[in-house]
Amino acid sequence: MSNHRTPPAGAQTCGSSEHTLHRRLFLLGSMAAGCASVASYAGLFSIPALAEQTRRDGKKCILLWLCGAPSQFETWDPKPGTDTGGPFAAIDTNLPGVQVSQLMPRCATIMDKLAVIRSMKTEPSEHFQGIDLMTRGEKPRPPFTRPILGSVVAEQLGQLDSPVPQFVLLDPCPEGNEFKAFKAGNWAGWLGAEYGPVRAGGEYSIPDILRPETLSETDHSDREALRRFFSRKYQNEQRSEAAASYNAAFERVKGLMSCAPLFDLDSLPEADRRRYGPGAFAQHALQARHLIENGSTFVMVANGMPWDNHVFQHEMHQMLVPELDNVLYQLVTDLDERGLLDDTLVIAMGEFGRTPWLNEARGRDHYPKAWSLAMAGGGIRGGVVHGATDELGIDVAENPVDNHQLFATIFTALGIDPDESYDLPDLPTFYHVEGDATPIASLLV
Amino acid sequence: MMRIPLAACALLCVVSFAADNTSAGDRPIARIDHFIEQTWEQADVQPAGPVTDSEFVRRVYLDLVGRIPTPQERETFLADQRLDRRVHLVDLLLASNDHAVHFADLFDTLLMGRGRDRDYRDRRKHQWRAWLERVFRDNRPWDDVARQVLLARPESPQDRGAVWFLYERENNHQEIAEAIAPAFFGIRIECAQCHDHMLASEIEQRHYWGLVAFFNRSENTKTKNGPRVKESAIGGFSEFADLSGESTPNQLTFFGAGVVDEPRPAADEKQEDLPELYIEAALEGDPQVPRFSRREQFVTRIADGHPLIARAFVNRMWAILLGRGIVHPFDEMDSTHEPSHPELLDWLAQDFRDSGYDIRRLARMIVLSRPYGLGSRRPDGVDDPALFAWYLERPLTAEQLARSMQVALHGSFRNEHPLFRQLRRTFPEVLPDTVGTRIDAALFLSNNPAVTTLISDSREPSHLVPRIRQLESPTEQVSLLTETIFGRPPTEEEISQIAGYVETAGDDEPAQRRRWEQVVWALLTSAEFRFNH
Repeated sequence: MSNHRTPPAGAQTCGSSEHTLHRRLFLLGSMAAGCASVASYAGLFSIPALAEQTRRDGKKCILLWLCGAPSQFETWDPKPGTDTGGPFAAIDTNLPGVQVSQLMPRCATIMDKLAVIRSMKTEPSEHFQGIDLMTRGEKPRPPFTRPILGSVVAEQLGQLDSPVPQFVLLDPCPEGNEFKAFKAGNWAGWLGAEYGPVRAGGEYSIPDILRPETLSETDHSDREALRRFFSRKYQNEQRSEAAASYNAAFERVKGLMSCAPLFDLDSLPEADRRRYGPGAFAQHALQARHLIENGSTFVMVANGMPWDNHVFQHEMHQMLVPELDNVLYQLVTDLDERGLLDDTLVIAMGEFGRTPWLNEARGRDHYPKAWSLAMAGGGIRGGVVHGATDELGIDVAENPVDNHQLFATIFTALGIDPDESYDLPDLPTFYHVEGDATPIASLLV
Repeated sequence: MMRIPLAACALLCVVSFAADNTSAGDRPIARIDHFIEQTWEQADVQPAGPVTDSEFVRRVYLDLVGRIPTPQERETFLADQRLDRRVHLVDLLLASNDHAVHFADLFDTLLMGRGRDRDYRDRRKHQWRAWLERVFRDNRPWDDVARQVLLARPESPQDRGAVWFLYERENNHQEIAEAIAPAFFGIRIECAQCHDHMLASEIEQRHYWGLVAFFNRSENTKTKNGPRVKESAIGGFSEFADLSGESTPNQLTFFGAGVVDEPRPAADEKQEDLPELYIEAALEGDPQVPRFSRREQFVTRIADGHPLIARAFVNRMWAILLGRGIVHPFDEMDSTHEPSHPELLDWLAQDFRDSGYDIRRLARMIVLSRPYGLGSRRPDGVDDPALFAWYLERPLTAEQLARSMQVALHGSFRNEHPLFRQLRRTFPEVLPDTVGTRIDAALFLSNNPAVTTLISDSREPSHLVPRIRQLESPTEQVSLLTETIFGRPPTEEEISQIAGYVETAGDDEPAQRRRWEQVVWALLTSAEFRFNH
């Protein structure tokens, strides 16, 4: 912490945007948890005084956030017939010599499109710290809060002038133990609340996005035209920046209202809905595709914290993994068929893996030492299995990958320079990825 | 260095007196003007011209009683021929109950933060809200207010609401410390939890943990008299570690003050909580009070006479009434945030102390000062808001908006209207550092039934739309509309725009009514209504 520059007298912050945020949070009181972070639907819609209106031709990303942490043994790194392998068999895939759990028959047929890392090796073994690490890419350094992946991608690749929300969290469930606590925290960090997610899904919808029932469409647009007339007059006469921001917010109402159908699951084709399968996670994955197709940049699909199977792990995974198998298969196949896969990165991961051994409740506990995840598309090379664990899956046997290397790879695949620093006056220098992690070359197109 | 500007200023002050019709007896106001004019001279800027009475009346009603004036109130003021009519109006407003309610709104948010609906219910139920209103109604000295809040030991039942500042924070002693620092001392100390403040190095980690220690023996308790914050006579000793891992005992100390001595038990020594360590409370049924009370020590040894108590308050009142603190942000009065007018801040703080922490006198001086009476249009070539060379426009708070919408539509208002709750969610900010509007606010005003229904339900003969429809000519109709909502006559263009729109309804009465409702919505949601200017 010796790197601090002293800002000029009268500088706006005392060194951390957190502090500014603290004041806001205090003044907002208990509403703050909702307003400032994840429950905020204001998200990317805030109108900066001088918005950088650059339109960037960037890639997009869907994160299937498997919160609670799935087991690598029952997914990407089966150890059939060993003491740690559990009851499920391994099956061949369309990649010669590569097997996955028998719970993933569909993904087995598209392994040439997927990239699997079997050698994830991270530190935190508790959910909150794990979630924090794997969504932000870095351990905490208070009082600074690093933005989570979706915020960074939305900031780097998003279209600020798009009416479509750039970072969307689809999560029907307000709960989720530690994930619930994480959701109440500050997601956008030093990028500012405007880069936080728009939250939708399940009971979450964008409030007031529909015209009031008592008002005809004509009345609605007439009165807005009158409002604009009066309000612009004031703005011009006063030369008021505050009024300019106020009016700019109204200018986006119509565009946003036009997005309302994007958030309406019922508007999606019935055949697609059936194909993805019942359940919020599956339906939201479909909705994620729909949002990406229509201009969102980052969609995170979560469903509370279902993967934390400390009890009856095999029974629970027997239900959860086939759903994931189908959802990932449908999503990757859809994106591919629509010509979107090359520009859309799909990531399926949790915050760590599960223990090779079972506990007394026949559950697997938290295990960050050797675990797996999968990616596809968006600059990631398909048909690659990177790294390996030892015979029993107790430790990484080759090519360990940590959070730095993973994030360097993800950013590079998306066309974001991992070594670029954030432009943060009055803050220490932070990079997209700290340290000198190099992206995993074999995973990049 | 001072002589020339002073001389020039003296001249300006005389001019401003004449212009503002303030009486010659208001010397302190001239002092404020002097300090402000001095910086205009130094920066070589020409301030905005004076605001008209018609603009002043809307502004001062919003700032002092939290709403726009009714047309009658406005006309009464404009018909007042006295040269010192602004003084009379300000005194009238400051003495009103609406003023107490409005300032209680502001200080509730500044001291407690916004809350959930339940928090607002609890603040009422447990008399916090009533106590806060009484503070401003009775114009209690601010140092007394600080004392009552920090000690949280009511001496009479009618002051029991004061305990709620600590009580609502539910034994979270760090949260209490982090709230006290900005609320009463105008500084933020969160940064100092883990290390000395990195930039404002005078705010040290020991100050953070010292402030926590003054309150860490406190515990919420329910008594037959209501919620109370009792205090233990023992415990609360700990050590804090800095980033290098070095531990330091948490002594009773705070920024800008010494250390309050207290015998510290050895690490392995167990303190006994003996009855003789306590005395009876002032109110029967209240928890016993420790003979050595850390809270009392904080009040008597740290807060009483602490220079920041007065400085923070005058700076905040300045921010409330002039849109920006002399130190900005108003609650970061540390070495990294220099005052724009150091001498003015010193003088105001001294005057405030000399006056016995007289809140109303301070507010009165500021709203009668020259910078308050300037036009709100930024003059050409001036861009530094810290010069106070024009009246800084600011958004209405949720409460100001909820009341003003009612006044515009009904000519009266209820403080219990559901609009307060709805608008608090949409516009939670009070004294924001920067003004920006989020889309959710625009969505709320555009699509939430709250405002639309309020307008369409306002159908009493005395309400705005029915009154407009009683009038014959478009000019009369639009005049009533803009006079009532904006406090100004309409322009020709506005008359023709609105009349043209309403005419499209033809003779269809319900359609005419609906047209007028859309017009009213358009004015109520326009920037001119949204801001105080």
